Amino acid sequence: MRAFLARHWYAYAMVLPVVVVVGALVLLPLAQGLYFTFTNINEATIANPVLDRPASYEFVGLDNYVNVLTGGESYGAFWSTLGRTLIWTFGCVLAHYAIGLGLALLLNRRMRFRGLYRVLLILPWAVPPFISVFAWRYLFNSQFGIINQALGALGLPTPVWLGQSDLALFSVMVINTWLGVPFMMVTLLGGLQSIPRELYEAAEMDGASAWQRFRDITLPGLRSVSSTVVLLGVIWTFNLFHVIFLSTGQNPHTRILVTYSFERFFSGASRDYAVASTYGVLILSLLLVFVTIYRRAMRRQGEVW
Amino acid sequence: MAEVAYVNASRVFPGTPPVRAVDNLELSVADGEFLVLVGPSGSGKSTALRMLAGLEDVDEGAITIGGKDVTNTPPKGRDIAMVFQSYALYPHMTVAENMGFALKLRGVPKAQIREKVAEAARMLDLTKYLDRKPKALSGGQRQRVAMGRAIVREPSVFLMDEPLSNLDAKLRVETRANIAALQQRLGTTTIYVTHDQVEAMTMGHRVAVLKDGVLQQCASPRELYDRPANAFVASFIGSPAMNLKTVPLTAEGARLDGLVVPLSRAALDGAAAEGLSEVTFGVRPESLRLASADEDGMEMTVELVEELGADAYVYGSVRIGEHPERFIVRVDGRTPPAFGQQVKVTLRDADEVHLFHPETGLRLSA
Ligand SMILES: Nc1ncnc2c1ncn2[C@@H]1O[C@H](COP(=O)(O)OP(=O)(O)OP(=O)(O)O)[C@@H](O)[C@H]1O
Ligand SMILES: [Mg+2]
Repeated sequence: MRAFLARHWYAYAMVLPVVVVVGALVLLPLAQGLYFTFTNINEATIANPVLDRPASYEFVGLDNYVNVLTGGESYGAFWSTLGRTLIWTFGCVLAHYAIGLGLALLLNRRMRFRGLYRVLLILPWAVPPFISVFAWRYLFNSQFGIINQALGALGLPTPVWLGQSDLALFSVMVINTWLGVPFMMVTLLGGLQSIPRELYEAAEMDGASAWQRFRDITLPGLRSVSSTVVLLGVIWTFNLFHVIFLSTGQNPHTRILVTYSFERFFSGASRDYAVASTYGVLILSLLLVFVTIYRRAMRRQGEVW
Repeated sequence: MAEVAYVNASRVFPGTPPVRAVDNLELSVADGEFLVLVGPSGSGKSTALRMLAGLEDVDEGAITIGGKDVTNTPPKGRDIAMVFQSYALYPHMTVAENMGFALKLRGVPKAQIREKVAEAARMLDLTKYLDRKPKALSGGQRQRVAMGRAIVREPSVFLMDEPLSNLDAKLRVETRANIAALQQRLGTTTIYVTHDQVEAMTMGHRVAVLKDGVLQQCASPRELYDRPANAFVASFIGSPAMNLKTVPLTAEGARLDGLVVPLSRAALDGAAAEGLSEVTFGVRPESLRLASADEDGMEMTVELVEELGADAYVYGSVRIGEHPERFIVRVDGRTPPAFGQQVKVTLRDADEVHLFHPETGLRLSA
């Protein structure tokens, strides 16, 4: 052991800073948050040095989980919020993937100005998201937005896109699709370019039509890239806070798990840290379950990930 | 089964200046023939093959398969199978799926596919590997799968683009023989691209030599070796290469250092008609021998001896006019001369010389 340490001390010294930072920024807050879920901590019971008030929160066991998981309206209607979160997540990722793949396929052909198109299509990603979101809010504005003016000019109904209805969820998904497609497009384009051209030629000689080449060469060739970006996309979108918050604020029709957790933590009559943390822990557990299932499915397909 | 013909076919790649990768190729391949396309790197072999496959446009001229003009037919409609240099096996499919892919696309019933794949696998000794993915195969096995994929389809023409270049020397020799035997057995018209002239000589019924996109000669291996149509073919075919030197002509023949090679009347007349005072004189290493002290011969200083067992190749320099010229001579492997030694070299047989025009490179001697 002594000899081992003597020989490898530098390796431990190298990883130490990372361990410290990860511990301070991730593990400690995680442990603390987990602890909060078993208490009734909120704005009134937390220690407040300004008012010189000691902490008065207590251990309440699983009460928070029971309250949340029974789906009570005053605790964020967990199950319907979860449903909305799933619609949001899978809807967005599906749109990202389908549109990203379509654009990547177009950009992978030989054509004039290809470099220009690539830059233009990556642009939405390079623009700071809040600018894009505000631009979209103008587009969607029910009175002055271009969309409604165009619809009005055509004599079509002009709905309130970002209002108090489920249409708001759709609109927010459109905005997020706009923001997320470039990433998918770039990664899938990279994946497409890594498929050897001879495979297409061989398939063509074997008599495959364009659709059959797409199905039998392109999709399998993209599988490892796709599986990675879809997994990342799901995790990111599941936890995507800023797009929803910037476009509709605290609209219950666009509420997903993270935005509700934020609402409970930072606003409302009493900032309920305990319930917010409970949501956080539930989100983490859901994602862990998802990743586990996903990895198992990937491994069954012989993917080394 | 089909015969194949290039009718003045060209492929011009756009660029400045445009590249005529295949230039006015006029070549026909008989039904069931094994034709080898050979040439140095960049000579347009792959391009010619890909034009036939339909993977490359034909900018001028036409291509026919079985008498039918297929110049504008997509690859799918040509009934051709191709073995790629990289094999291009579908990485996510098993060996069996790879081999059966074309049949599956054609809608052949599953049982029949399985039967054909099994048969091809037996022929190629792949039965054990049918359920593996290409990733889990050795280079030689992958090569056989690529062959199998072509065979299973029973196409009218096989195309192979340097299918052996990724194999080690021993496996290459073995596979070479197997491919030739397989082609014999199937009797399918085959066009085989290689830059290895040994493959060209041993495998093909006929060999077509390309250089810079232009067909130099298309003939049987024997003919190619014995009567190369020009100096390029003469130097390209044969290993080690033919000794090719430009030498002065005299009334009796070609003058090398200390040795006048008598030339036939016809050859001398031919050269005279062209008004030549020099010719490009070619002689293969095996047509030279060491001379005894009292014979006429070229004085050669030995610079390198390559011993191959039965034979040895002696590389040395001979003065021709002002310059020392490198000559290669095949000698008996048991008694090779030593490095630095002075030897005398002469022809085995005055008939075994090749004469070419010094500027155009075309063959002069009959
Ligand atoms: N897509 C292309 N665009 C422009 N020029 C090309 C293209 N493909 C090939 N060429 C040119 O055409 C010529 C012939 O190429 P080709 O690949 O047919 O040579 P090759 O005889 O197969 O050589 P190798 O033995 O190295 O495979 C080369 O000079 C090459 O640079
Ligand atoms: Mg080539």
